[in-house]
Amino acid sequence: MKGYRKYFLNKLGWFAVTFVCAFILNFILPRLMPGDPVAAIVARMAQGMSNARGVQAIYEQYTELFGTNKPMLQQFFIYVNNVFHGDFGFSFSQYPRTVADVLASSIWWTVGLQLPAILVGWLIGNFLGALAAYLKKGFDKVLMPASIFASSLPAFGMAVILLVVFGVTLEWLPTSGGYGYDLIPNFSWEFVWSVIVHYQMPFWSIVLITIGGQAIGMRSMAIYELNADYVKYSRFMGIKDRKIVRYVFRNAMLPQITGLALSIGTMVFGAIVAEIIFSYPGLGSTILTAVLGQDYPLISATMLIITLMVLITTFIIEILYGFIDPRIKAAQAED
Amino acid sequence: MSVMSNVVLEVRDLTTKYVTRFREEVYAVDHVSLQVEEGKSLGIAGESGCGKSTLALSLMGYYFPPLHYTCGEIIIDGRDISAMRPDDVRKSILGTEIAYIPQSAMNALNPTQKVIHFVEDVFQAHDPFKSKKEIHEFAKEAFETLGLPEEVLQKYPVELSGGMKQRTVIAVSVLLCPKVLIADEPSSALDVTTQKMVIKMLKGLMENGFIKSMIFITHELPLLYNVTDDIMVMYAGQIVEKATAREAVFDPLHPYAKGLMGSIIVPESGLRDVKLAAIPGVPPNLKDPPVGCRFAERCKYVRAECKVAAVPLYDAGGGRAYRCILSEEVLREAYQHAG
Repeated sequence: MKGYRKYFLNKLGWFAVTFVCAFILNFILPRLMPGDPVAAIVARMAQGMSNARGVQAIYEQYTELFGTNKPMLQQFFIYVNNVFHGDFGFSFSQYPRTVADVLASSIWWTVGLQLPAILVGWLIGNFLGALAAYLKKGFDKVLMPASIFASSLPAFGMAVILLVVFGVTLEWLPTSGGYGYDLIPNFSWEFVWSVIVHYQMPFWSIVLITIGGQAIGMRSMAIYELNADYVKYSRFMGIKDRKIVRYVFRNAMLPQITGLALSIGTMVFGAIVAEIIFSYPGLGSTILTAVLGQDYPLISATMLIITLMVLITTFIIEILYGFIDPRIKAAQAED
Repeated sequence: MSVMSNVVLEVRDLTTKYVTRFREEVYAVDHVSLQVEEGKSLGIAGESGCGKSTLALSLMGYYFPPLHYTCGEIIIDGRDISAMRPDDVRKSILGTEIAYIPQSAMNALNPTQKVIHFVEDVFQAHDPFKSKKEIHEFAKEAFETLGLPEEVLQKYPVELSGGMKQRTVIAVSVLLCPKVLIADEPSSALDVTTQKMVIKMLKGLMENGFIKSMIFITHELPLLYNVTDDIMVMYAGQIVEKATAREAVFDPLHPYAKGLMGSIIVPESGLRDVKLAAIPGVPPNLKDPPVGCRFAERCKYVRAECKVAAVPLYDAGGGRAYRCILSEEVLREAYQHAG
């Protein structure tokens, strides 16, 4: 037990180091992009203004406000200080909205879209993969090529196919947005229905791709486990096939959990393509506008969210594994 | 031959085959007959690929691909299990009448399950109404009798050493007191000291009343000589020699059995000065076995007649049998000349 705790303290230390590195990179990288974000805002504000002094004044006001006139190092410490007080500053591209406000309005769309899609895709994919390994023959011969096709299709490819088929040709589903453009968010039936309808295509485009990848992984794990020695021995001890199948799939599932954790951790990245194609109002679209508008604080903040999510899910999985797999627990305690 | 009443296991002409992905049929066990009496143990020897492990699997009466049953009878206590439905075999034969210790007992336990939970599953597969408390008490007692610490039950397989894992598998195999125990190379993956413990444990199983008879499969003949009463030598899916342990080791009849003895280092007195000799060549491909004697290609004493027709198993009296067209006298004389 002592070794076990030491292992986790050690792990925690490494996660802290990773976090600091990622935090610094999140700050520096966007600022290395060529171009001046303030100039772009000023150009927008000063449309039609011919007074050069006036434009200059506006420019200086914004650089002062955003702090971009200070040296990079100083900006960094100001940023660190602000973040630790929970202040992520103003969004450059959507000024006067704050970063916190922008994130708060978009993050739930992404979580609401991605989390169920990943879970549903993961569950269905694993179930189909396990079934293919167990049934073999015809089912496997159909599922495998289909899964390989689905998983090797790029995310945008799947999204575009769905868009063309169900949105443009059949006109069953709306092609863009999180809800009808003529609606104001409220709790009426009309609005909820509109959200549900708009939800379908981005959701299934993610689910289908996840199913393919998970099914392939689960199938090969399950085949490996089905041929393990303990399966043969259990059979010869007269244990029912139904129970043996339960042993096998529990064991085959273990590596798949890592995959689930990683896709939940990198959920926001996964969202970018689907959200952009379907103009879904989530974090993915936010990242795109942030990058296009050189919105440093917004980019840093979204990257920070991703970093944290990856680190936290990995850490949770690390702990969880110790409980579900005695082999890993033994290895952890030895370290 | 022997009195029928105390025969625990009788196998007649058992033939099983592997069907490959390309629909080729490989008869790995070819018309094997054997008998094990109560209180006796039978050893099966042969080089790798001779079908001894397949024979072990075939004896269970429970087949799954790629292994298929072809013909023959497996009679345990008067019941022919080869004629039973697979599910009945599973429920009323496996583990209770006949039990198996796999070749790689190291990986025979589910890595994510505590030993006690597997024991529960084993009991409940045969008697769903047995309470957990009863099972636990029974298992504890059995483990104690077999010299295993009771803590083992509460452990995961990874927490056990190699030898301990092997002994745990043996203990679990005999928990339901099977009439026949089939041990397939139970000690091959262990170091010598652990091997000794495992062998001692196996020998003790009959004395403790856990099992009534045992079939022990290995490629190590000297081990068989120490453990079993009778020895059967297999070659290319067939029995080539059947004898008591002493006869099989010190006075083998079949040239292959003779060669096998000669190729083993035995620190027994009387065998100490025997020179080590390898048997040249490789066993025939069983996808397409030779018409005549299967050992003919590698045999020192081969004659033209050997390759003409299949060689039957000749009864040499006293429970002895060998598969060679040459007579006992001719063989013995030939061995004498060879030194």
